[in-house]
Amino acid sequence: MLKIFFIFSLLPPSEIKAYDVPNDAGGRILVEWNLSPDDSLIDFYILFRQFQKEGTWALPETVSILKKGENSFIDQGLKNGISYRYFIRAVKGGEFIDSDYSNIAIPSAQWFHKKRLSALILLIIIVSLLLFYIEKAKKGEHLYIRKIAGLDAIDEAVGRSTELGKPLLFSLGLGTIAEIPTIAGLSILKRVAKKAAEYETDLIVPCFDPVVFVAAQETVKEGYLEAGRPDLYKEGNVFFLSYEQFGYAAGVDGIMLREKPGAVFLQGYFYAESLILAETGNSIGAIQISGTTAVTQLPFFVAATDYTLIGEEMYAASAYLEKEPLSLATIKGEDWVKILLIIVILAGVTLETLSFFVKNPFLHFLKEFFTIL
Amino acid sequence: MKKEIPLIITFISGLLLVVALFIPHEPFGSLQERFNDWYIIVSGFTLILGVDSLLLYHYRKIKRKEKDAPYSAILIFSFVTVLIWGIYSGIKHGNPFAPTSTFLRYFYTYIFVPLGATMFALLSFFIASAAYRAFRARTFNATLLLISAGLVMLGRVPKGEETIPYFIGITLILIALIFALEGIQRVNPYEKALFFVLSILSLGVIFPSSILLKKYLPFIADWVMNIPQLGAKRGIFIGISLGAIAMSIRIILGIERTYLK
Repeated sequence: MLKIFFIFSLLPPSEIKAYDVPNDAGGRILVEWNLSPDDSLIDFYILFRQFQKEGTWALPETVSILKKGENSFIDQGLKNGISYRYFIRAVKGGEFIDSDYSNIAIPSAQWFHKKRLSALILLIIIVSLLLFYIEKAKKGEHLYIRKIAGLDAIDEAVGRSTELGKPLLFSLGLGTIAEIPTIAGLSILKRVAKKAAEYETDLIVPCFDPVVFVAAQETVKEGYLEAGRPDLYKEGNVFFLSYEQFGYAAGVDGIMLREKPGAVFLQGYFYAESLILAETGNSIGAIQISGTTAVTQLPFFVAATDYTLIGEEMYAASAYLEKEPLSLATIKGEDWVKILLIIVILAGVTLETLSFFVKNPFLHFLKEFFTIL
Repeated sequence: MKKEIPLIITFISGLLLVVALFIPHEPFGSLQERFNDWYIIVSGFTLILGVDSLLLYHYRKIKRKEKDAPYSAILIFSFVTVLIWGIYSGIKHGNPFAPTSTFLRYFYTYIFVPLGATMFALLSFFIASAAYRAFRARTFNATLLLISAGLVMLGRVPKGEETIPYFIGITLILIALIFALEGIQRVNPYEKALFFVLSILSLGVIFPSSILLKKYLPFIADWVMNIPQLGAKRGIFIGISLGAIAMSIRIILGIERTYLK
């Protein structure tokens, strides 16, 4: 039904269509329309919604006031399984003109996110490869892992610090315990704590996050216990410092300048404070081993510290340090996934380059398949 | 059971979150939000542990009369002042950060914000000192880094294209001077001639290179950022993502248990 409350020279928006938003938990409808041919003349649009109850349509409700030029809107907070329809009003001054009603749309929840099919396939392949190598490791097969200079340098750094009679300082960055780099940092901390206990050197761990602080305390305690020197563990050396970024940076800098640690470990997730910490560590002449997955901070660590664990090297730390076959197996599986990804990337690049010369939409299939929303 | 129960909880929660990524339907769709809410609640309680640790650490320092005890006393005094001030402002204004609150004005705006800004401002000096060390052209790779970083910086700053001819001119004059001085010191006539030719060549390329760089500098800067830089960055990203997946699987399967006592 065409609803025209006031006929004047302006034309209404047309082709108004409503769809259930795909791949969501329901409750959302996407409304699209063609702009009024006189879009430039109107002041704004008003989107109206009607829902069906017991076979009859309720009175129209205003959904949103939209600027001219806008031709789509996602209506949220709707009830799944209820029928909705829309119309749009173009307003100029005190006059308006309404579009036709849209088709009827019913919001619903989906049981599978179709756009993530490629991610699921990749996940299945990755998990299968990892499990395959875990099985191999269980059977006792030897798994080789390349040398990681930054991790090999841990013993050297602890040893040097011991010789100098200075403590060690370990920062886990600003990450929370829910972040994987922090867990990777904790596994390195355990190794450092074990070595510190063996060499009878003090280990200072100032923490940013209170949950990480509790985990760090347990990790250091465990390290000392594994080394058979629980008596050397000092509870006060692992402490919460601040929950404020630059407050933490200032605090750690202060500790570095006062305690003059012989070795500084910066392992975890860092933000803008990374260089402040690394440069202060450098200024006191400490041997520094850094590691982070924050790509924007990596150049700072490479420039200012002696050894840097770049991204994935950090994740490999626990497997590398413990030489535990099951952990090593996951690294081996990861390498095979990398080879697989290189093949996919090369195939994608070839197809996309070809598509420049041959205008065939099929050539984009790899790019489209791996585009995850 | 002390280890088994946390491992079971980790396994179930990890698996549920993976499932939730692919199933938007309730009850899975909102699982991540719910887990995050629980994390906030738990971390709220651990903040008490953190504060307890901080105060105890500094209290012990004061008690033992260690050399830095005065700093610890200042910290405890500041902590108590801020706490009392915050509670007082909260009661008086309904919120310690209300626009009329003295806590907001004197503590937050006049002390806390400038201190944070000062620390952040110090970063520029640290960047300069780290950049000096990183860009020293000791090896071929470091020289490449220095040249590309110089071109990117000049290509991205206002008036960079206008500055480049002077920059190139001065650099090449210095290079020509070094070659000439090296030539003077050489005894072998062939070597002497070679260094003088190199010196003249350096002077000769000033004009064409300045013209070319002035024209193509933004393009070169964009190319460095979008092709080699982004390529390397993506490589690191892929490695990080795969590493994270492998680590997550280790955590879910209970192979990685450093976070447990």
